[in-house]
Amino acid sequence: MLRVVAFFPALLLAQQPVINQYCVGCHNGTSKAAGLALDTAKADDTATWEKVLRRVRGRTMPPVGLPRPKESDYQNLVATLETKLDAGKVDPGRTDTFRRLNRTEYQNAIRDLLAVDVDVTGLLPSDDASHGFDNVTVGNLSPTLLERYLGAARKISRLAIGIPPKQVGGETVMLPPDLTQEEHFEDLPLGTRGGTVVKYTFPQDAEYEIQIRLQRDRNEHVEGLRGTHVVDLMLDGERIQAFTAKPPTQGQDHSVVDREFNVRIRVSAGPHVIAAAFPKQSATLLETERQPYQAHFNMDRHPRITPAVFSVTVNGPYAVKGPGDTPSRRAIFVCKSEDDACAKKILSGLTRRAYRRPSTEADLTVPLKFYREARKTEGFEAGIEMGLRAVLVSPEFLFRVEQDPVGAAPKSVYRITDLELASRLSFFLWSSIPDEELLAAAVRGDLHQPTVLQKQVKRMLADQRSRMLVTNFADQWLYLRNLASITPDMRAFPDFDDNLRQAFRKETHLFLESVMREDRSVLDLLRADYSFLNERLAKHYGVPNIYGSRFRKVTFGPETMRGGLLRHGSILTVTSYATRTSPVIRGKWILDNILGVPPPPPPPNVPALEEAKAAMKKMTMRERLSEHRKNPACSGCHKLMDPPGFSLENFDAVGRWRQAEEGTAVDSSGGLPDGAKFSGVAGLEKALLTRPELFATTITEKLLTYSLGRGVEFTDAPAVRQIVRQSQKSYFRFSSFIQGIAGSPSFQFRRAQ
Amino acid sequence: MIITKKALPRRALLRGMGASLALPLLDAMLPSMTALAASPAKPVRRLGYVYIPMGAHIKDWTPPGSDLRQLSPILKSLAPVIDNCTVLSNMELRNAYPGTHATSNAAFLSAATAKWTESTDYHLATTADQVAAQQIGQGTRLPSLELSMDLLTTVGQCDNGYACVYQNNLSWSTPTTPLPAEAHPRIAFERLFGDGGTAKDRQSELRKDASLLDWMSEDIARLQRKLGPGDRNKMEQYLDTVREVERRIQKAEKATSESKLPDLDRPVGVPASYGDHAKLMFDLQVLALQGDVTRVITFQLARETSTRTYPEIGVSDPHHPLTHNGGDPEKLSRVAKINAYHVSLFAYFLERLKATPDGDGTLLDHSIYLYGSGMGNPDKHDHVNLPILVAGGLAGTKAGGRHIRYDKPTPLANLHLTLLDRVGARLDSFADSNGKISELTI
Repeated sequence: MLRVVAFFPALLLAQQPVINQYCVGCHNGTSKAAGLALDTAKADDTATWEKVLRRVRGRTMPPVGLPRPKESDYQNLVATLETKLDAGKVDPGRTDTFRRLNRTEYQNAIRDLLAVDVDVTGLLPSDDASHGFDNVTVGNLSPTLLERYLGAARKISRLAIGIPPKQVGGETVMLPPDLTQEEHFEDLPLGTRGGTVVKYTFPQDAEYEIQIRLQRDRNEHVEGLRGTHVVDLMLDGERIQAFTAKPPTQGQDHSVVDREFNVRIRVSAGPHVIAAAFPKQSATLLETERQPYQAHFNMDRHPRITPAVFSVTVNGPYAVKGPGDTPSRRAIFVCKSEDDACAKKILSGLTRRAYRRPSTEADLTVPLKFYREARKTEGFEAGIEMGLRAVLVSPEFLFRVEQDPVGAAPKSVYRITDLELASRLSFFLWSSIPDEELLAAAVRGDLHQPTVLQKQVKRMLADQRSRMLVTNFADQWLYLRNLASITPDMRAFPDFDDNLRQAFRKETHLFLESVMREDRSVLDLLRADYSFLNERLAKHYGVPNIYGSRFRKVTFGPETMRGGLLRHGSILTVTSYATRTSPVIRGKWILDNILGVPPPPPPPNVPALEEAKAAMKKMTMRERLSEHRKNPACSGCHKLMDPPGFSLENFDAVGRWRQAEEGTAVDSSGGLPDGAKFSGVAGLEKALLTRPELFATTITEKLLTYSLGRGVEFTDAPAVRQIVRQSQKSYFRFSSFIQGIAGSPSFQFRRAQ
Repeated sequence: MIITKKALPRRALLRGMGASLALPLLDAMLPSMTALAASPAKPVRRLGYVYIPMGAHIKDWTPPGSDLRQLSPILKSLAPVIDNCTVLSNMELRNAYPGTHATSNAAFLSAATAKWTESTDYHLATTADQVAAQQIGQGTRLPSLELSMDLLTTVGQCDNGYACVYQNNLSWSTPTTPLPAEAHPRIAFERLFGDGGTAKDRQSELRKDASLLDWMSEDIARLQRKLGPGDRNKMEQYLDTVREVERRIQKAEKATSESKLPDLDRPVGVPASYGDHAKLMFDLQVLALQGDVTRVITFQLARETSTRTYPEIGVSDPHHPLTHNGGDPEKLSRVAKINAYHVSLFAYFLERLKATPDGDGTLLDHSIYLYGSGMGNPDKHDHVNLPILVAGGLAGTKAGGRHIRYDKPTPLANLHLTLLDRVGARLDSFADSNGKISELTI
């Protein structure tokens, strides 16, 4: 073991006794636990020492149960390794040369370019995720995808310009079947219940037929139909029609109930809000002998008390008057002369925004060619439409391209151009294209200057579009995106409905947004004494005195078990199974997303618990997992994952507080890989906050992955540490992370091929 | 609350499509049908693949005898089409190890090892369906069609060090090109039949698309000149893609000009129930095969590690955790229920193929489908004794209704090789194959 001396520089030499005593027993050339041989590792083997640092910093090594260094030794070792590793050469990594806009980015880019809202989920396939985000593996262009891009460009350009469709079309918005509609919804007029709001872009000044259908049970009977019910149809807040639903008379089937629920009406082109809702009747009798659930959508267990909207359909256009005056037309037609000069002006403006750089003559050749051809036969606007379509299928719009400068030496590090930097920024903060101000700064060539950059980042964070950091970044980081696909077992959780699912999502979104907008410390995500609730969610949580559908900020006293992220129904539900909690999934979620020490993947050929132990059935989850941990192949990781998960056992699979499970008191004692022992969510939060730099590091790594669209490598570690150190000075304010990333070498530089 | 997701139940689609789903009309309106009828001597071969995740409760899957007169509980619903089915037991995928969900899906059609990476340098192999597409897909508008069932993308569920592409995509046209599958019925419909509208409208749109593609290749070439050699390869791939879509559009233009295709109404949305959605996706496959729009189809009936629950058959436990059951007989019986449900949906499809006349026989006679999983025992994450079933026109060679049981684990690649052979793609070997399935060869 003395061999080690030969390789260690003076700096690490001082740590050699600690490493020898606590690490080399397993991580040596003979045993090579986890592929690490620290007795022979070279001092410049950065990958190895970064790995060591991560484990030592997280105190996940040595494993729980084995002798550990003193805390001061830990700190010395961490400090030494950091100093040594931070002194190395900067490697900014290499983002892929071609990165396709993913579906979310495409949708936002269209919105910002053409001022038209399009639901792109119906036009483009979804993107595969890697490293936890769907903007990483985006280099490919399959024929299917290209076909979809052609189709999307066609639809979008026609809608934006207002080319009349060749045929009457229809669009139907269907409400989730498990949506309870007995109470008021936030975006609908007071005094109504149920229903829905649909934002719809009408393609033309024309007549449209709007149709409402009511929810039916599986016998095709309209649900909740017990007397006369009125349905109001509203356009932009004005009631345009009231329909009356009555039970069918003897001999009629239920198809007559809402057969006449349609109206033909003239609507101007552009975005409008269609709403359908029921005026609230004063005394609704609860006609159920069962427990009065809040969920009402299931004909057998908790039926609807009153009718509910099933779908809203818009058919049209009929009797077309013209394309009208729409936001998109105002954005596109920046001149009125309808000649070639005007076409050139329009298309050069569009290419500048779409290609995210000053437009050149060469950029315009082809779009103008398309314009001229179509203009000959179909007129000016059709010409612009074809020019626009050419822009929308151009690889320069669909792909973000980062090129090595001419003559760059292989592997050399270079600063990316200001234009490339502008795109990195806007796709990071807005998931969209740069706006004119950002683009102008890049064109001037001073965007990379720290003061200019900081000012732009600040401005962009304050812009509404930065909400994408919540709905796109955090949705993926925290797995909130999975909420949509989660349906807890209806027998075990009869009171779960889509209303609750939506409330979960909204709570966490508002909460994250409050930290971002108020520029709070990100540690508040774990320790806040407030959150956002409406009546539905407050009832679910057992918080009294919150009434109505509106979400509001609620500050909790110490006796309320709500507040930080780890107490949110959203996160507790996405880390549970349909029938029960999963301490394993919850624990792994904490290691992955909070502590940043993901357990290794399960070993190949996981040995199964072959013999079904009859006794296992009667065991609690805790006992069963402890049985599982007896198997040495499993225990290595489960010893890390299970204890933090156990501490959340006071929350059931839909995030309700519980003291007991099936008559047995809940045991919420848990721990962390650093050996900390505690009980319950408060203990967990406190333990996580003892070394806040771990959580700060995880957030930084997640943000960096998302902002660069590539996995974070060991070579990024010095940059990550630098950002965390800077943030620490401002007590981990949210904006310090964003500024830190924007200013980091990983974000501003690139390694040549 | 604002809902932007558009959907309509399946029955609304069928209503919407009106009589167009009825067979006689379809027969008349799809041009290639007439072409087929005119040359019954050379029936078109179609090849399809259906993937089920997380293996099966193999005890309840495996038929007891050497024929299928006595069916196992999971396969019961195949009874009406049993003469067109053959079950193969003890097939294995050696290259799917180390045992994971990602590699099960990836190896099913490639029989190859997936490169362990989460980044863009993922690498697998050309899958069997794409080999077939190169052989029999060039005559049709779409060389192949990729379908799936999972609309929602989930995060954090395929991170075992493998990029999600392995778990999501069955079909790979090259070792680095996964082909995304479509789960949305309307989008799938549009791929098959276009936007609808009159033939004239459709044709003028196709022409516009064709000229836009011309411009795309020019633009890519322009970019290519500015790039380093490594990045030029990528551009070459994009150009291939553009050329492929150009080819498809030419085919579509030709088909449109020759056809008297009436206005087809598109399905509007996604049926709320899994079963209805799956049947609709199978219906689209019948239409696609019948219209000869494509001859090669892959369909992922659910994704690996799917936590879908199946309340419609009384299984409220999520599928994936249910398969990690330590042999608990109660849980195994629920796994078997899910397996049987998936098979019943496939049986529905086979019956529809059988009811659809095609040339001198039925569509089923002129198609071969491989149904199965890349995982054997999901509790162990192993890849031996896979649930594997071949259905379709085994007639013409040797009759179906058999259960081929190997003593020794036999590469699934042998079956791929054999099926490829049957559609005219004659290879010496495929991945780790060491022979053909002699029982299925002529």
